Amino acid sequence: MKNDLTKIVISGEGGQGIQTIAKVLAESFKDSGFYVSYIPQFGPEQRGAPSISFIQYSTKEIKYPRFYKADYLIVLRERAIPATTTFVNSKTKVIFDSSTIRPNVIKQSENKKEAVPATKLAFDLFGKKNLNLIISGYLTKLFSLNEKAVWKIIKNQLQKKFSEKKDLEDNARNAFIYGYEFTSEKKNFSQPTFKTNKTIIISKNREREAFISPELCKGCGICIEKCPVGALKFGDEIGVYGNPIPEIDIDKCINCGNCFRFCPDCAIKVKKKSK
Amino acid sequence: MTKTIDKNFSMPKCFNERSKPSLYCPGCGQSIFLKHLGFIIDDLEIQGKTTLGIDIGCSLLAWNFFNFDIVQTHHGRSVPVAVGYKLSNKRRIVMSIMGDGGGYAIGLQSLLHAAFRNNPISVFVLNNTGYSMTGGQMAPTSIPGEITTTSPSGKDPKNSGKAFHGPELIKQISDNSAYIARASVSNPIMLQKMIKKTLENQIKNNSFSFLEVLTPCPTNWKTTASESFNFLSKMEKEFPIGEMTKNEK
Repeated sequence: MKNDLTKIVISGEGGQGIQTIAKVLAESFKDSGFYVSYIPQFGPEQRGAPSISFIQYSTKEIKYPRFYKADYLIVLRERAIPATTTFVNSKTKVIFDSSTIRPNVIKQSENKKEAVPATKLAFDLFGKKNLNLIISGYLTKLFSLNEKAVWKIIKNQLQKKFSEKKDLEDNARNAFIYGYEFTSEKKNFSQPTFKTNKTIIISKNREREAFISPELCKGCGICIEKCPVGALKFGDEIGVYGNPIPEIDIDKCINCGNCFRFCPDCAIKVKKKSK
Repeated sequence: MTKTIDKNFSMPKCFNERSKPSLYCPGCGQSIFLKHLGFIIDDLEIQGKTTLGIDIGCSLLAWNFFNFDIVQTHHGRSVPVAVGYKLSNKRRIVMSIMGDGGGYAIGLQSLLHAAFRNNPISVFVLNNTGYSMTGGQMAPTSIPGEITTTSPSGKDPKNSGKAFHGPELIKQISDNSAYIARASVSNPIMLQKMIKKTLENQIKNNSFSFLEVLTPCPTNWKTTASESFNFLSKMEKEFPIGEMTKNEK
C-alpha cells in the first residue's frame, strides 16, 4: 500500500446532523483499527449556515487534521456547495442529495457522481429528523464498516433522545438499515422535487383571509404554540430551510393576531376581508 | 380581481426586504424584537433620520436588516460610537443594539458612563442569558441553576454569582429624566409600547433611555417553541418586567 490515507468531507446545513454523522463515522473507523482524525469547521453557532466536517482515516499515523483535496465529498444542501468546491479535484467522488440539489450544479465528471435522495426518503418514510441516519447507513456500506458496530455507536450518541421516546429508536433503526441497503443513483438522477414554493399560500373564507409565505418561514413553530384556538398545524409544504411550514384552518381562526405578532420572520398574516 | 401580493406583506416598511429571510436562527427572539422596532420606526416616521449602532455577537446579523444607516462597532463599543455620533449630529435619532455579553460584560463601563452622562441615545440590550453566537457559554446574566455548555451541572451562584440585573444597576446612577425599563418578547404589545417610549424619551426629553428585552434562544437552549416560552417565563420571574421608577431625592 503506497497511499492509504482517505480524506472525507461531509457538508450540509447547520441543524441537519452533519456533525453527528461525522462523529459516528470517526468512532467507527477508530473501532475498526484505523488511525482517525476528525475536525469540524467552526463558525457562528447558527441554524441554516453551512456546516462542514473533515475526516481522515489511515493505517498509519495522521500528522495534521486539515487537508485541501478530498477523496470523498458528501454534500446534502445546495447552500453548502460554494463552501466545498475547493476540496474537489478530478479524483474526488461526489455523493449528493438528489432530492435537494440539481445534478448539473455539481461540477464533476459523470462517473464520479452518486446520489441519494435522502431528504425525500426521510420525509416520506421516517420523518425529517432521520435524514442523517439514512446517510450514516449509506456511508457504512460505502466504507465497508460493520453495520452492527456502527449502530452501537449511534445508539450511544443518541441515547438521551432515545430514552425519551420508545418508538424513536425503532424508527431510527429502520432508517439506518434502509440507508445501508440503499443502492445509490448513478447517471439517472431523480429530480429535486424538494423545493421551496415561491408563491404565497392564500387561504380564505367569507370573513377573513390568511397569507403564508414559504420563502420566509423557517419552521420555528412559535405561531402554532401561540395560537389560542389551535387553528395552525404543520403541513406538507416546505419552507426555506427544508422545514415543514404551518397550514391554517381558516374556519377555526378567530383573527386574534397572535401568529403574526409573534412570527420572527414576517411570514404569516391574517386579515379581515374588506367589504 | 386578484391583486398580486408582495413578499413583504407582513413586514414593516423600513425593512430591507432583499435581506429576508434574515440570518437569524428559526424562532430567534431577536428578530421578533427587530420586527416590532421596525413597526415603531414606521409609526414615528423617523426612518430617514435614524442611525443604528450594532455590536459583535448575534446583534451583528442585523447589519442589513433595515433600510437606514447602520454602524458596525467593536465588541461592547456600540454605545460610545452611538454617543459620538449623537454629539456630532444632534438631529439624528441614534440607537444602539447589543446582546447581554456586549452590554453587561465587555461593554458595561461604556454603558454606565453613557447613562451617568445622560447622553441622549436609546440603548437596547437583548438578554438571552448566554453567549449565543459562540455556542451558549455561561454569561453574567445566566440564572442560577441554568445549564449551559460551560456550566454543565447548572450555574453555581457561590462561584459565578447570581443573575446580573442591568436596568436596576443603571437606575442607581442615571438622571431623573432617563427612561429605564425591561420588556419581554412574550408580550409583544407591551414590548411595542416600551420601544416607543424609549425612542420618544430620546426625541422629546433629550435624555438617556434604556430598554432590556428578554429574548429566547432556541438554538443554544436546545428548546422547542413551547419549551423556550416556558423558559422565558422562568426568566421573567428572575428579571421582573416593567419600568424602573427613579426615587426622588
